[in-house]
Formats: sequence, C-alpha cells, structure tokens
Amino acid sequence: MSVTSQKAHLLRANKTNPASWWIAGISLSLVSSLTGNLLVLISICIGTMLTVFLARDESPWARSIGFYLKLATIVVFLRVVFRIIFNLGTATSDAFLLLPSLEFDVGFGNTIHLFGPMSELSLVAAFTDGFRLAAIILSVGMANSLANPRKILKATPGALYEIATAISIAINLAPQLISSLNRVRRARSLRGRSKGIRSLAGIVIPVLEDTIEQSMALAASMSARGFGRRGKRTALQILIARLLGFLAVCLCVTGVVLLLISPDQQFIDLAIVFLGLVAAAFTIRISSTKATRTRFRTEPWRLGDLVVFAVSITLLLLAFGGAFAA
Amino acid sequence: MIELRDLTFSYTNPDGSLVSETPQLNRVNLKITKGEFVLVCGPTGSGKSTFLKTLNGLAPSFTGGVITGELLIDGLNLIGSEPHEFAHLVGYVNQQPEGAFVADTVIDEIVYGAEQLGLSIPAIKQSIDEIAPLLDIAELLERPLVTLSGGQQQRVAIAAALIAGQKILLLDEPTSALDHEGANEVLRVLRNLAHDRGVTVLLAEHRISRVIGAVDSVLVVHGDGSITKGAPQSQFNDNRFAPPIIELGLKLGWNPLPTNNSEATKLWQSGKHSIEAKKLAPASKEVVTLQDLKVSFGTVTALEETNLCLFGNQITALMGENGSGKTTLCWAIQGSGTITSGKVTTSFGDTSSMAAENRLDVLAMVPQRAADLLFLNSLSAELTESDRFANVKPGSTASLFQKLAGRIDTAIHPRDLSAGQQLALVLAIQLVKDAKVLILDEPTRGLDYAAKRALARQLNSIRATDRAVLIATHDIEFVAMVADRVLVLEKGRLVQDGLPTDLLSSGNPLASQIAEITREPALITIEQVLS
Repeated sequence: MSVTSQKAHLLRANKTNPASWWIAGISLSLVSSLTGNLLVLISICIGTMLTVFLARDESPWARSIGFYLKLATIVVFLRVVFRIIFNLGTATSDAFLLLPSLEFDVGFGNTIHLFGPMSELSLVAAFTDGFRLAAIILSVGMANSLANPRKILKATPGALYEIATAISIAINLAPQLISSLNRVRRARSLRGRSKGIRSLAGIVIPVLEDTIEQSMALAASMSARGFGRRGKRTALQILIARLLGFLAVCLCVTGVVLLLISPDQQFIDLAIVFLGLVAAAFTIRISSTKATRTRFRTEPWRLGDLVVFAVSITLLLLAFGGAFAA
Repeated sequence: MIELRDLTFSYTNPDGSLVSETPQLNRVNLKITKGEFVLVCGPTGSGKSTFLKTLNGLAPSFTGGVITGELLIDGLNLIGSEPHEFAHLVGYVNQQPEGAFVADTVIDEIVYGAEQLGLSIPAIKQSIDEIAPLLDIAELLERPLVTLSGGQQQRVAIAAALIAGQKILLLDEPTSALDHEGANEVLRVLRNLAHDRGVTVLLAEHRISRVIGAVDSVLVVHGDGSITKGAPQSQFNDNRFAPPIIELGLKLGWNPLPTNNSEATKLWQSGKHSIEAKKLAPASKEVVTLQDLKVSFGTVTALEETNLCLFGNQITALMGENGSGKTTLCWAIQGSGTITSGKVTTSFGDTSSMAAENRLDVLAMVPQRAADLLFLNSLSAELTESDRFANVKPGSTASLFQKLAGRIDTAIHPRDLSAGQQLALVLAIQLVKDAKVLILDEPTRGLDYAAKRALARQLNSIRATDRAVLIATHDIEFVAMVADRVLVLEKGRLVQDGLPTDLLSSGNPLASQIAEITREPALITIEQVLS
C-alpha cells in the first residue's frame, strides 16, 4: 500500500468518528471568519475540498459536497461582481481595473455611481469577503458530507428529547434534500411541466414534503424504539433544566455574535461562550440524571480522529493568535 | 394482550377542528390474545396504517389528531402516551425499513432499541443470541445494512423491534416492497414468532393470498370507522379485498371456505370443473425495440446487453427479484435513464434524444414513488391540472380516478391520501394522457383487489388501441390478471420470455394462487374458472 492511500485510509469517513468532522468543520469556519488573509482562505477552500475527495465514501450524503461547491462558487462570483458594479471607492492613482464610471441622477440632488476605476486593494478585499463566505460554506459542507448523519443521531443526548428530535431531523434534512431533489426532478419530467412559478412549485413542494416525511419517519422509528425515554423528574428539575438550557443557548449565541462583529474584545466574548458551554453541560447533566440508556458499543476514537483534531485545533489557535497580534 | 374499549381516533386540522364528521376509528371494541397472529386488512385508504399506529402511540403523536377511550396493553391503559412509553411492550416495523434505520451495521441497528430502554450489556448480548438465529440473521450481524437484500433488511427490522423482549409486533405492509422470495422469508419468520414464541403479531397486508393460510384471525378496517374481527373464513363478504382463494371458494360455493391452499386443492380435486383458456392478446407491430442495451453504474452492471421488442396490443409484465434491473430497464426505455451502450428506439423515434415535452406525447410512465408527481395542494387541483395538460374533457381524470379508488372528497390534500390512493391518482393522471407506450413500475402497491381489477380493466381497454404496456412488478396475482407476456430478469439478465399461462402455472416458482390450488395446466386466474 502506498503512503498516500494509507493516509486516505486513515481518514476514511467510515473509519473516523463523525463528531470529529463536525469539530473540524466548525473550527475551520471560525478560522475563516477570524482571518483576513486571502491566501489562508483559499487554502481552506482547497483543503476542505481535498479532504472530502480523499476521505469520502459511497454514501448518499457524500454526494452533497457538489451542492456546497456550487453554492460557494456562486457566492464568490456574486460578491466580486457586486463590488465591481457598486464601486463606491473611486480609485484615482492606484487604479488597477479601469472601467468607465456610470452616473445616474435619481432626483433630489442624489446621484448613483456604478462601475468606475477599481484599485487592486478593493478588488482583493472583494475576493477576501467572497472567499471567507465560501470557506465557511465549504467547511460546513465538508462536515456534512463526511459525517454520517445516522451516527451523529445515535450520539445526540436523549436527555434533551425535544431538542434532540429537532436536531436529528435538521441534520438529516440537507443530505435527504439533495437525494430527493434528483429523484423528484426526474419524476416531474414524467408529468409534463407547467410554466413559470408553477414549474418551480412542482419541484420544490414534492422535495420538501418528501424530505420532511422521511425525517419524520426516522424520528417515528426512533421514538417507537424508546428514544427520548427517561425516568420521572420533578417539576422543579424540569423547570431548572429548561431555564438553564435557555440561558446556555442565549450565552453561546451572544458570545459568538460578539466575537464575529467585534474581534477586539475577544477575552470577554470567549468568556461568554465558555459560560454558555458550562450552562449547557449542566443542563444535560440535570436532564440526564434519570436517563436509563446503555451503550452496547461506543464509537471509538481512532488515530484518524486525532489527526483531524490536531489539525483543526492548531489552525484555530494560530488564527486566534493572528487576530490578537493584529 | 391487547384490549380496546371504545377507542375513537379522529384527525384534526391545524386549527384543532376535526377533519371529518366521522372519526377514522369510531368506538372500537376488540380483544387480541397472547400469541395470536392477526391479519389486518381492508380496502385501499380505509385506515389500516392509522389503526396500527394508534396501538403504539405513533398516532396521534406523529400524525396529529385526538384519541379517546381505553387502550389496554398487558392490562395497562396507555391511551395518550408517547410512543417511547410503549417501546418496551410493542415493536413496530414499517413498509420501508431503509427509511427507519438509525444505524449502519446490522448489529448497531438491532441493539438501538435495547440501548434506549437501558438494558444491561449482558442482557443485550443474550437477547441477540436468542433473536438472531430465530430471524436467520446470525451470519449478517457485522454487515452494513445497505448491502442486504430487501427481505434481509426487513428481518433485521423485525429483530430490532423485538430486541428488548417486546411481546407485541406491529407490521405495516412489511412485504409490499419485497420480491416473492423475500416476502416468503419474512412471512415464515412471522409465523414462527407467533406460534412458537408467543409473540402477538398484527400484520397489515394487501397481498392477502400468501398470508391467509397462516393467520389465526382477520381484522377488517372497513373505512367507515368500524373494525370487525373474526375467523379468516368469515371476514371476506366484502370482495373488495378478498384474495383469489376466497373468491374461488365463493364462486364454487365451498362451505366452509378453505383458507389454505392444500385444503382448497382437496376440495377442487373432489369436484368436476369446466374451465376456459385464458384470452391472450396476439402481438401487433413492434413499438419499442431494445438493441444491445446495457446499463452500468460505475463498476456495477445493472443491465447486461439486452435485446427485446415490446409489441402493440400487448401488456408485458417484467418480473424478477429486487435489484434484478427492472426499474433500470423502465427508465432506460423512458429515455431519461442511464444508457451505457446500445440503444432504445420506438416506432415514434428515439426517446433518449427527444426533448422531455415531446417524449410525453409518446410515453407515459408511473415511477415507483408515485407521490413524487404530485405537487398541488388539493385533489381537485391535481385533477383539473391533469385534464388541462392532457387536453381531455374536464372531469376525465376524475372519473378514471374514481374507478380506481372510489369516491373521495376532492378538497383533501394529496399528501393526506393513503399510499394506495396516491398511486391511483398518479395512475389516473398518466393513463388519461393516452400515450402510445405506457410504463408502470410497481403499480399495485397498497391497492386492494377491487382497485387492481379496475386497473386491469383500464389497461385492457388501453391495449386494445394498439398501445404497448410494460409493467414491472412483484405482484403475481396482478400479472396473472393482465399480462399477455411475461419477462423475467435475473441479476440484470433477461432469463425468461414467455406466456403467463406457462410461467405462472402450477409447479413454477412464480405460480399464481389459483394455479397452486387447482394444479391444472395453463389455469392461472379465477376468470378462467367457469364452474
């Protein structure tokens, strides 16, 4: 066996813990949103794609990467085109792209500038913005294509029954959406197309209905086999668990949003996220006290997982370090 | 084991109002004893699935609606409980096991329920050791689920439903997607579970002919809210869903009615009968021609080089096990499927190079998942759209649909129709177009015998106008009813091409129930029996 195929084997999607792909995906999205370096962003895009093509298997969700790739391409394209069209900064000395400027008088003494000469800097900025979004999309896409949704579903804490059911349906939604899209599109051509908005409805409605029905069937099957079962808890325990859960979600969301919009107070923001995570852990702890699940076999953590972990944590630390230094 | 007292279930609209004046189940009272093997049947759309789902809380939890009355399971009133509260008592298996699998490998799938219920590891191990040999899956434990055949998957689903020692098993049409062999494996297992293991089995089925001989009692969901239960002989006065064996008994005035084939054979052989030859339509001109058609997906060959003609005036049945290439062949003829080499030509042109709209004039197809074709938000809108598109007199689709599925309130949302009714609707939409070539992929799933007879009549009148009809199906009784010619695929190869009176006759693996009972040559349907 050659070295490359051994590496590929190490990371094979079915040989790795699905959770590690989500950790990698989330870390890479964080890195992408923290960094302003176009080269780093492009490397993340290429890296995630390479990883997917090396590690993916024949499963239906592995095919969803094509969809994410198209979406990312469109995002970069739109971001750059919009920047060229609505080019507000009028470069004079360092013009890189010389485009004629169009001006429209919209009345009341206002004019709109379109196009116009562009500096290299603003073009790079446009590409950076575009590739940042693309890198985030591809990171999530990588996790979605490599992590087996069924294994994640098995690992969702049953203690948070209502939320876990919703999560399990949500996680299954994207891969199923893509697989039913192709089937329905072909089936629809058998009926004959209507014109305009109706033709779109003819694809979108059966796909959505089918996807939701499939997810519900899975949730029903899980429920019929005892998923969500837990011992009796007191009203106070339920109340505390709910309040704490709500607090955890609020803290995490606030912390992440702050982190993204104002990267200059990272200590406070990170502290808020950390508090949120602690609250979440306590919620699960309280809710699980009476849970009665056993694990027949646990999903092992293998060498491949360690590699995925090490790489994503290193990148994350570097990105934070870089952001601090800047 | 199970006792219902005044059980009433109604569907509700999102605003809480009742969908219909008459409840889906109206004050049902019945008892099912331990170890009883019960067949649940009834006309298309009568509410068999809903009834099963009320017995483990999936209705109303996952379907919406309100339930009242008492539902005693092992003496415990569980009315209004969540499905997971039933999980240690009742196992549930649905039509498509692959949609309900939560794991990747057989063993992970089987133990899921036991893990959720908190069984100890040694208890789980012991349970696997007991149940795996019983369901004949001991050798499959480490296999990925996707590599299993349909019959094997369904047996895994049954094992998973019984892993925690559940004493009641509910199955919603577990064999409807399976080929003959797979279905028989599943039924054999169910019989053993009920009779040797004391598991109470409730089985909803449309293809009654192959289970009627094995069950202890038959429960009929009539569709008007009532449910009756009794001995198999007593339950089929409504011939909308009577299997061929009962029909034969009624026609010949046998009393008591036999419910298994060997009893019926004795009765048949003790009398004198007059039978007529089956009328098979002769082939007219070639309509579709396949030349060296080959289809592969990656490294897997789905269809080996095939040469074949479909003729006008003829109904051709395409049979074969799950995964033998039937659906692949249907899509290749339709023109939008993959074709690796070779070609498909029709007397109206090459379908694969036609624009999708032009193809529609030549060819109509009903795919396996018929509901994919429905997208409007009421039955009446679907029917009107179909008339408009097919350019036929308003009401044509509606009257065809009514022939197949009976009278149904047209304000209903197509998604609220039962699987059988949805199929009937798509059949009506596609048949009304009067295309030259008609391809039907599994067109009888979830249809009762009356609907199948109506479909057979419709196909007979279509074929008379020089049309070619191809039906891919596992449904032997339906093939016996309509086909003029039978093709059998095996692992992507066409292995048989003959007359139904030969291939479906007594002694063949595909023998129809009438053929098995009478053991007369070339006698395959009830219509051929005159007295």
